[in-house]
Amino acid sequence: MFDQLKRILSQVKADYADLRYELRTETQIAYDGRELSLMTADSTDGYVLRVLQSGGLATISFTKASDAEKAIRTAEENAALIGKRIKAPVQLAKVEPIKDTYHPKLDIDPRQVPIDEKLELLRHYNEIPLQQSKVATTAIGYSDLTRDRYFVSSEGSQIREDLVTTRVSGTIISQDGALTQTVRTACGGSDGFARVKNRESEFEEKTALALNMLKATPVKAGSYRVILNQRLSGTFTHEAFGHFCEADLIEDSPTMRAKMQLGAKLGTDILNIKDDPTRLNQLGRYKYDDEGVPARSTQLMKDGVLVGRLHSRRTAAAYGEPVSGHNVAEDFRFAPIIRMGCIFIEPGRLSFDDLCAKLADGLYLVDKMGGQTAGENFTFGAQYGYHVKGGKLTEMIRDINISGNLYATLKKISAIGNDLLLAEVGSCGKGQLNVRSCNGSPHVMVDSVVIGGV
Amino acid sequence: MEQLMAIARKSADKVEIYSRAVSTDSVSFENGTLKDIDSKLLFGVSLRMFKAGKLGTAYTQNLIDREELVRNALVSLKGGVEADYDLPKTGQLPKLDAYDSAIGKLTNTQMVDECARISAAIAARTKSQVNVGAGRTTLTIRLLNSEGTDVSAEFSNYGNCAEAIFPGSYASIAQNQVGKKFEAFPDWMIDYVANTYHAALKEAKPAGGRMNVLFLPATLYALIWRLKEGTNAKNVYEKTSRLKDQLGKQVLSEKLTIVNEPLNDQVPGARTFDDEGTPCRNLPLFQAGVLKSFYCDLCYGRKLGMPPTGNGFRGDTTSKPVPALQHLTIQPGDKSFAELIGMMKRGIIVGGAMGAHSGNILNGEYSIGLAPGIYVENGVIAGRVKDAMVAGNVYETMQNVVAIEDTVCSSYMGRFPAVLFDDVSVAI
Repeated sequence: MFDQLKRILSQVKADYADLRYELRTETQIAYDGRELSLMTADSTDGYVLRVLQSGGLATISFTKASDAEKAIRTAEENAALIGKRIKAPVQLAKVEPIKDTYHPKLDIDPRQVPIDEKLELLRHYNEIPLQQSKVATTAIGYSDLTRDRYFVSSEGSQIREDLVTTRVSGTIISQDGALTQTVRTACGGSDGFARVKNRESEFEEKTALALNMLKATPVKAGSYRVILNQRLSGTFTHEAFGHFCEADLIEDSPTMRAKMQLGAKLGTDILNIKDDPTRLNQLGRYKYDDEGVPARSTQLMKDGVLVGRLHSRRTAAAYGEPVSGHNVAEDFRFAPIIRMGCIFIEPGRLSFDDLCAKLADGLYLVDKMGGQTAGENFTFGAQYGYHVKGGKLTEMIRDINISGNLYATLKKISAIGNDLLLAEVGSCGKGQLNVRSCNGSPHVMVDSVVIGGV
Repeated sequence: MEQLMAIARKSADKVEIYSRAVSTDSVSFENGTLKDIDSKLLFGVSLRMFKAGKLGTAYTQNLIDREELVRNALVSLKGGVEADYDLPKTGQLPKLDAYDSAIGKLTNTQMVDECARISAAIAARTKSQVNVGAGRTTLTIRLLNSEGTDVSAEFSNYGNCAEAIFPGSYASIAQNQVGKKFEAFPDWMIDYVANTYHAALKEAKPAGGRMNVLFLPATLYALIWRLKEGTNAKNVYEKTSRLKDQLGKQVLSEKLTIVNEPLNDQVPGARTFDDEGTPCRNLPLFQAGVLKSFYCDLCYGRKLGMPPTGNGFRGDTTSKPVPALQHLTIQPGDKSFAELIGMMKRGIIVGGAMGAHSGNILNGEYSIGLAPGIYVENGVIAGRVKDAMVAGNVYETMQNVVAIEDTVCSSYMGRFPAVLFDDVSVAI
């Protein structure tokens, strides 16, 4: 494969070029209620060429090898056009060329598991909620996805690494009269098929939750003191803070850059956040990013001070900061962009009981229902929660969407638990989907957030 | 594709082959400078094989190994996905004007020049960060099935988007323009972005409560999303839609007529057949607020015993067809945009919506962050609110329509006018 890629690359006239080829194999099985709605195993492939010429960096993706020549010409022309018009010519931070082949260690390779076994596993999990009369339906799927990546660059890099992601995820929909409730359920990871085996308890717990939520009361709009559980706090860390540590997202916003300067005190003294794709046995694990840079654990916040940022080679050069190996593509259809790998709040010392006692009165908000940001403002949904009175969880609440200001909220994180938990499935949609986007957190207490109940 | 059909037919009762070839160039300007030109040349084929009422599927990005594609579909067939519906035999279709050959002559340099012009024109007036994008797409679809259907279509699309971004955020005032060929970004859109940006620059801190809320064409999708789920035959079949027993009933305000118009070729993407080869037709969903129809693909049409509506669409060749509304529009009302603002005693314009995908969509509930929210007092824009949310249930909110704008604008999820509602909860 590398010989074919090098042949294509040798035809490019440019200051720098790289070419990524990916073979993508995927198994998907899905149930809608008791009906099997999808079972398919496919393999497909494609190329992404990047060309740097006279300070312009252009990308083209193509799927037919016979289109390579046309793709090369198009990318060369686009790079020249950008080079002519761009204000600050693109430079790539220097990195050592790497030759390596890396296969992740998997506890049972899903590619070796017969499709019938995957189907049976999914059917078994799907039956757990469907046994309940108040569960109206489910939409639960199994997927395993392998990106077998080959990367060559004009600087001499030659890297092969495959990324294998396995998951069982979906929704359980409960119903009582006109009222329906939707609960998300998920397990998975990047360390093998074993991750999704023997996970009955996940589906049992989420089934019970879907039934209990029919009895929960909608939360009243207002401002509350809250404890966020790990998944919700992980979502906040990813959505509200993490995205602004992505150098490409803020580089052309003078006001965001001014606020996100290294050395700025943004959080409370107890807040430490890092992004570490190299951490073992977590969803976002990878060794090399999609421009051949080794991933590095990157401290983003230390004692409330912004100390680092996520970079591609281009942005590292533009900012004069170290490369971090965070330039990642969804697959062969996309140019790499800067992504979080595994972002998390580092654990503190308090147990969950300690946090509840400290909160005394407020809300305990649990699990995420999506999130979005627009600069300093963020919105994300919580699956459910509880009123906390006198340090004890009381009645259950639902229909919770949280809105806030990033900078204000970072300064209101007043206590951090000792129970770090990392997400097992991801779906960050920054223009491309990243199903390996991992985030996590311990329980944290926030002194006030706005909740838009009904 | 004919070779693939011949191979696949040997092992199946019915066969469908769907292909897409797409070519795109997109240009992005951020803060006045050319940032990126990204191109794609993508091809894909999807195969569906039916045998004894079961379905097998497979896809590939090239057609080098047809036998392997068929083998993958046969493995899939073993799963036993039920599919006892018929494939359509589609012959003569109306001619639509969905492709403008002028798109082929447009150079990337012209797109860069247009972005530079728009960016400079807005920035000169707002002194803000301005982001501009341009995109050109050509798409060819072909669908063959074993009933003798062989239909194809070509599409062209050109679009520009421009936004003026408020300091310290990504909340912005934006406009999108789309067409089948290159057209200059109109002056009125530049005026709108610049004038609205100025009016909303100052931060306002009104009290929350129930008030007028004006959804823009660009943010109405947050509500429409719920209606799309409610009228989706899949959710009706699964009895999870709140509208499952409401056909013929008054569900929304009588001011609201919402239709799917695939045959309207004034706008890009008009279709005469869906991604399963079923002929497309214009479909009223809500006529003066009365629920008129659900929409379906072949699979859910069969399950519900309703004729397919021509709404089976795929995301791309790697995904299966599902019921989808791709040509949705709300019929315009009789008020200009300025008149709508003038009618607001105290209220919020939803300038950008965050978190529309969260919350209990099937139940119709929404709770969205405003990015930005624009505060209006006595018919005049008084400033911008931060950290605010609007929330409610779409089936209640959409009964409280005050007035509808007299034009529609192509936006995410469809072509919409601005719609003014009353009595919506705003948390600030």
